[in-house]
Amino acid sequence: MAVTGLGKVRNKRRQEEVEEVEKGPFAGAVDLEMQSEDEAEDEDQEGDDTSDDGDVDEFPEIDAASDSDEETDEEEEEEGTDDLGEEDTLDENSDADSDLHIFPKSKKVVSDITGQTKVVYPEIEPDYDSDSSTEDDPNRVGNIPMHWYDDLPHLGYNINGKRVLRPAKGDELDRFLQTVDDPNSWTTAFDQNAQMDKPLSAEELDIIRRLQAGENPDAEYNPYEPTIEWFTGKGKEEVTPLSSAPEPKRRWLPSKWEKQKIMKIVRAIRQGRIVGSKPTAADKKQQFYAIWNEPPSNQAPPLPAPKPKLPTHSESYNPPEEYLPTEEEREQWENTDPEDRERDYLPHKYPALRLVPAYDQFIKQRFNRQLDLYLAPRIQRVKLNVDPNSLLPKLPSPNSLRPFPNYKSLQFMHTKARVRCLSISPDGAWVASGDESGVISLWEVNVGREVKRWSLGSKVGAIEWCPRLDACFFVVGTEEQLHFFIPPNISPAMLTMTQSALAPGTLPPVTQSSIKWISTSGAAEDGPILTIELPSASGLSRQLTWHKKGDYLASVSSSETQGSVWMHQISRRHSQSPFKKIKGAVQMVLFHPTKPHFFVATQRYVRLYNLAEQKLLKTLMPGIKWISSMDVHPSGDHIIVGGYDRKLCWFDLELSEKPYKVLRYHSRAIRSLHFHPTYPLFASSSDDGSIQIFHARVYSDLMTDPLIVPLKILRGHDVQEGLGVLQIKWVNKQPWLVSAGADGSVSLWCS
Amino acid sequence: MASSSSSAVPSHPVVFTTKTPYALPSQKFMIPLDWKRYQLSQLINKALDLPRPIPFDFLVHGEILRTSLLEWRAEKGVGEEDTLEIEYFESVMPPQRISELPHEDWVSSVSCRIPQHFVTSSYDGHLRLFDYSQNPLLDISVHQAPITSVCVVPSPSTETESRILASSSHDLTACLTRIFLGSEGPSASTVTSLHLHTSPLSSISTDVSGSHLLTSSWDGLIGVWDTSIPNDHQVPLDREDDRKKRRKTASANIKRKAPIAVLKSHTARVSKALFAAGEHAKGKAYSCGFDSTVRTWDVESGVCINTINVPERPMLDLAETPDGNTLLGASTDRTVSIFDLRVSSLSSSTGIMMHSATPSCIATSESRKQQVVTGAYDGVARLWDLRSTKSAVTSFRVWDGMKVLAVDWVRDVVGIGGEGGMEVWRIDGGS
Repeated sequence: MAVTGLGKVRNKRRQEEVEEVEKGPFAGAVDLEMQSEDEAEDEDQEGDDTSDDGDVDEFPEIDAASDSDEETDEEEEEEGTDDLGEEDTLDENSDADSDLHIFPKSKKVVSDITGQTKVVYPEIEPDYDSDSSTEDDPNRVGNIPMHWYDDLPHLGYNINGKRVLRPAKGDELDRFLQTVDDPNSWTTAFDQNAQMDKPLSAEELDIIRRLQAGENPDAEYNPYEPTIEWFTGKGKEEVTPLSSAPEPKRRWLPSKWEKQKIMKIVRAIRQGRIVGSKPTAADKKQQFYAIWNEPPSNQAPPLPAPKPKLPTHSESYNPPEEYLPTEEEREQWENTDPEDRERDYLPHKYPALRLVPAYDQFIKQRFNRQLDLYLAPRIQRVKLNVDPNSLLPKLPSPNSLRPFPNYKSLQFMHTKARVRCLSISPDGAWVASGDESGVISLWEVNVGREVKRWSLGSKVGAIEWCPRLDACFFVVGTEEQLHFFIPPNISPAMLTMTQSALAPGTLPPVTQSSIKWISTSGAAEDGPILTIELPSASGLSRQLTWHKKGDYLASVSSSETQGSVWMHQISRRHSQSPFKKIKGAVQMVLFHPTKPHFFVATQRYVRLYNLAEQKLLKTLMPGIKWISSMDVHPSGDHIIVGGYDRKLCWFDLELSEKPYKVLRYHSRAIRSLHFHPTYPLFASSSDDGSIQIFHARVYSDLMTDPLIVPLKILRGHDVQEGLGVLQIKWVNKQPWLVSAGADGSVSLWCS
Repeated sequence: MASSSSSAVPSHPVVFTTKTPYALPSQKFMIPLDWKRYQLSQLINKALDLPRPIPFDFLVHGEILRTSLLEWRAEKGVGEEDTLEIEYFESVMPPQRISELPHEDWVSSVSCRIPQHFVTSSYDGHLRLFDYSQNPLLDISVHQAPITSVCVVPSPSTETESRILASSSHDLTACLTRIFLGSEGPSASTVTSLHLHTSPLSSISTDVSGSHLLTSSWDGLIGVWDTSIPNDHQVPLDREDDRKKRRKTASANIKRKAPIAVLKSHTARVSKALFAAGEHAKGKAYSCGFDSTVRTWDVESGVCINTINVPERPMLDLAETPDGNTLLGASTDRTVSIFDLRVSSLSSSTGIMMHSATPSCIATSESRKQQVVTGAYDGVARLWDLRSTKSAVTSFRVWDGMKVLAVDWVRDVVGIGGEGGMEVWRIDGGS
């Protein structure tokens, strides 16, 4: 131990001093003083002590508290007094030692100088055995906080239970003198336990030196030891992970201390303790400028690069079995050129991710990707982001467009045959319906009670009520004949008017014509009052239409000859064929409600003639293969045309020859169309057995397009032999519809 | 006993009132809220200890209770503490068919106003008189054209054997026919024809005293007539005509009569005109028509004093409740509108009774102020209570697929005429 080493050095020196002390003049006095305290013991022990050591004296020197100002004598005195305290321990030591050691035997020798006997002890060999420092009786307080004794005059107890008094401490001067005296004083330190200054050993000094130099304090430590290869080299590879411990948090959590440090800096910057470098001249340039001052570049912004394809299941390191190629596939893949391969990799299965080798195609793939980005021409594709619903026209709700017919109020049955035609009286009270067996029934609109029935015996093709309000009769078109009927129960005034209209008193001279007008006034009660005989082989009168004044009647026969259209003037009892030559079979004719115009619908086209000027005004091309029906709007500016090919075309006569709107809502051929005379409604009937009601508002303002809203589909007629609803007519003044069906029923649809 | 109901269901304080002879002592009952009509009816039957159970219907705040009290309370938002006053009356029993009176043609109008007799008018132009044992007593051919309406003119005198029937027809006239129900057998003679209209007549009706008649026609006119039989023709014959002449000569003793007033205001067909009932409305008449209006007339001055406009609802029939407070108009949009005459004049309908087919006729009864019978084109007659118009109280199918064209209701007998002839039904119970 270093301490013991030091002790040895000291012991040698002390021995000399002891000898001096023994020889000194004041030794006795000192002894006396000493004895005053502990006489008996001291003397006994003195004798023992002198035998082997001046070690006794070494303690006072160590005491740093001792005054070093005084002279050596005084010092020795002091030391002597110091020794008193120390000696107890020494005594104890010697007591303890006496058991252990064999004391060196003293010899009595006659001194050469004085000639007296003296006890001579053998020379002490300064070896290990001679050193009694190890046998020092240490303070036995143990390893306790020494401040417990701060307020006490002693420091623990010796083995005999006596107090060990606190050694006296010298003042600063003593300490200074001691440092001056002792060249080793700068390497001593106060030992708290021993309550004395102890010189530091060489090893301790070395440790201090190393610490000062920032080296490892362990002298044995070799920073440049040769590396030992634990895990490299053949046979030393580590195959299992070193640790299964989860990754510590500090690997990914941001450091708390760094944060604190940074916050310290931040705080310093905030408080102004750290000032950034001064702005340079470049920074002092104007920071704000009007970004819109420069015209924007009309270059398109750079296109975003196309995204690479995301890997799929087959690109997994551990794909499901079904992705793995079979041998044939693998062979086929290897045999094809890289350009022709469907994919540029083969799925491969690895049992673990760590067994996956580096991707050998990586560079090539990256390169190809760069080529793609660099060479592929790209177009900005503008995606139309339109809500499809917003493209639909804003139509008013059908409920706001009331009234329109929406239920079947009553039904009138023709028991024998299908009802081809019907007509409603201008006052809206009577319906005349004719069926294919030749029965014409006249019935009330609102009750449905048949009031009168006529039987003609031949197929009824058309019925039309005269629009005159002062006369009341209707015309029935049959095979090659037109019959005029007067309904019963009309007022006498009206009856007279009707009769005079149908049988005018003064007739112009009869011209030669193929058409005969036959009055049968005698049987007016039960038969037609007037009959027009059309030329033979003209076939069934398919359609009749009145001019709005009720004087002219146009009839269309089903024969395809030239004479299928006839114009009859009631007041003059004159019939004529308006067209010398017509291309195609005439399907329908209509009078314009306000102008002297005449619509003629052939199989494909609708032609508009001016009757006054006798010329063709317009040809409308509905694009329908076979026109079935047509009606003109009460304003006369619009017509609707329906065809057997299910189409319904709306024409605005002010506009082009092409339809303004084509509706195709029926699933079978359209049979009949009718505009309501007063309400903004029209209806279409079809062979699918349904009737469709439309709201059709026409604006007098030329800029606004007509508004057509589908309102209601009325079902209730049965389809028989492919025929559905054959004719529909609106009731004047009321939003009611009467429909004639192939099933023999005539229905009234009320709002 | 009601208060000892189960505690799980909250109860409500209720006081029962009635106008029937079955009165409960006026005390407060705690009625469990999940009770419906049936339980309430049982409660009253038990409380009164009636020998024969009588079903009752219940009126809460003037409405017939059709749900449980809890639902009713939630719907009306009545507080839990308010004491409800529930009026009860005898329920209407399901109507029973009493007899059928087959006709050759459609029956356009029926009247039960002659005691123990039924009068029907038919589309074949005949008036027929039946007694309660279904015996046809009379079959008079009055018109050459369908008769649209018939009414019995109450005779001012006390004689019960002689009656006057007024009938309107498609042949532009109305006729008064005097019938004698003597012991030697009934006889009839047409005495007067009423000439005004130029279109078929739609209805004829009489006032309570039987002194005046109203005819309505398709030409938009309403004729006001007195029922006195003129001694001479008031209207000259129309222009000579073979057809007419034949008919006229056959019935030369029929006196032609002119109206005392013509009410002109309707712009379309008038479908019904009737005199107002009740004292306060004396001299007033109501009419409805296809121009979707209900007009009130002052018959004396012949002016329209009020017009109720119901857009797009052409009216087919009109009826007035016996108390004269409410008009009912059947229209072609399958509704029967309720017009409260007591509220401000311009307001339109205050309620609607929805039908599943076109309602064609309405009948009210003197005996039941709050109930009406309507007939519809689907062959179903419905009994409604005006206090609860959501659905019919009861409905009875008279014919299948044949139209009901006329109903008349006197006491518990309902005569229903239509496509299938005439049927008589009995409605029991009720207030």
